[in-house]
Amino acid sequence: MPFFPLVLATAVIVAAILTGAIFLWRLQPLEAPPWVRPQALVMAAGAEGETDLAALGLALRKVGSVLAADFVGRDAALANLAQRPGLASLGLREMRPNPLPDSFVVSFAPETGPDAVEAAVAELAKVKSVESVQYQPEAYRRTWALARLARRLVLLAAGALLAAGMVGVVAAAGLLANPDPEELRLLDALGADPAVVRRPYVYGGAIALLCVAALAWWLMVSASAWLDPLIADLARQYALHWSTDGLPAWYGPAFCAMAAVLGGLFASAAMRLAMGSAIK
Amino acid sequence: MHASRIEPQLSDSAAAAPLLQLAGVEQRYGAFRPVLAGLDLELRRGEFLVVEGAGGSGKSVLLRLMAGLERAAAGTVRMAGEDLARLGAAARSHMRRSIGYLPPGGGLLLSRTVLENVALAPWAAGAARNEGVRRARVALALVGLDADRTAQTVCSHLPSGERQCVALARALVNRPALLLLDDLLTPFDIPSAARILRLLDPFSESGVTIVVAQRCAEPSTVPLPAPWPARSRLLRLQDGQVPA
Repeated sequence: MPFFPLVLATAVIVAAILTGAIFLWRLQPLEAPPWVRPQALVMAAGAEGETDLAALGLALRKVGSVLAADFVGRDAALANLAQRPGLASLGLREMRPNPLPDSFVVSFAPETGPDAVEAAVAELAKVKSVESVQYQPEAYRRTWALARLARRLVLLAAGALLAAGMVGVVAAAGLLANPDPEELRLLDALGADPAVVRRPYVYGGAIALLCVAALAWWLMVSASAWLDPLIADLARQYALHWSTDGLPAWYGPAFCAMAAVLGGLFASAAMRLAMGSAIK
Repeated sequence: MHASRIEPQLSDSAAAAPLLQLAGVEQRYGAFRPVLAGLDLELRRGEFLVVEGAGGSGKSVLLRLMAGLERAAAGTVRMAGEDLARLGAAARSHMRRSIGYLPPGGGLLLSRTVLENVALAPWAAGAARNEGVRRARVALALVGLDADRTAQTVCSHLPSGERQCVALARALVNRPALLLLDDLLTPFDIPSAARILRLLDPFSESGVTIVVAQRCAEPSTVPLPAPWPARSRLLRLQDGQVPA
């Protein structure tokens, strides 16, 4: 493959990896937002006192894989319903007596599978003072299956991207370290210092990866600047943490310098192999 | 770069010390019969040795061993008292700079120009670019090539005789102490071969040790063919051994 297309292709792949890595870093600490967690609504039996409700909350939290049990009082629930557009005109606020029960919104740990959630829901229904439990098992099963598929696809894509990046980096560094074996044998016979023979190729490898790194960094910075506002907006809407901190200024030069050193090392190794096989 | 200008005449004691010593040298590749077997040889400064033998008799292997390009399977090869097998990579490279080696066929880079081929030797030895070019031009003139006419010619465009002259210029360009010339005269007719040997004579006289390997179909019983210098010594090889 010609040098410049290879450098460009590798830079694009490395830029994609860098952009992904930066986005992951901006999402740190990576916590599943509440809307991702499986939830069930537990209705308490009527006419419970405050003490009983607190005890019920504790009992619910003790059920396996339950992360939280947030109390929603019947009055608060009615007020919330009454505020909703379309229901405000029905006069729900004046409804006496309040027909809604006290309830708990029970959240499960984000990584809990549907079977475990369903088993926990069945256990919740057996807790004393629980009237009923509302939970939609099919919806969570579908979400769970989609999430697993999405995770595997992302891992697959990231793995393929990393592999392609590594192949590109090694190829770009070693592309110039492809000397004529006849020339190597001749230089050896003439007493050329092996380090001197390797040197131009090592410089070539270093310059090749320096070009890749500089181009990749520029692409990553441009892509981030273009996508950042959109992703920040999405993150806010989906209650995800999104850091707006910029990268320290020295990261770019350090990344390029590291790439140049790596290119030199790769080219040196490629040359040692080439010289070893030519001068047997 | 005439030999008389670059190498002072050696004193008797320096000329007496062996430059190259081979003791019990054997070379074999894998389980095949040895290519060289039990070879003992001493070469002093200024000696002119002709190694004669049929194809496959071990001439080229002997020259490669002398150049330190191969390691002997058994025995020792010493240059100026140093065992070549014990030299490190850097010392071996340094030692090779004092050897002018002409491999069979010349070993030229055919896609490169004449000047690049000859200047490669000084460049490999660490000479600056301009100095390498200057020395290459002198060496080309020495072997009878017009540097102005041939310097930029790509070697593949040269006739075989001129290619061999370029290869000889490259072997001479670093002012070597030891010249190893494998199959030197094959591309030349008798007058040209005589001219090349006359050209080498001053080097030998000024202390450069010269080894020329020459193929012959049937080793002759006459001491030396007509063109060889009168002071040359003959080593005849047959199946890797010196026949009794």
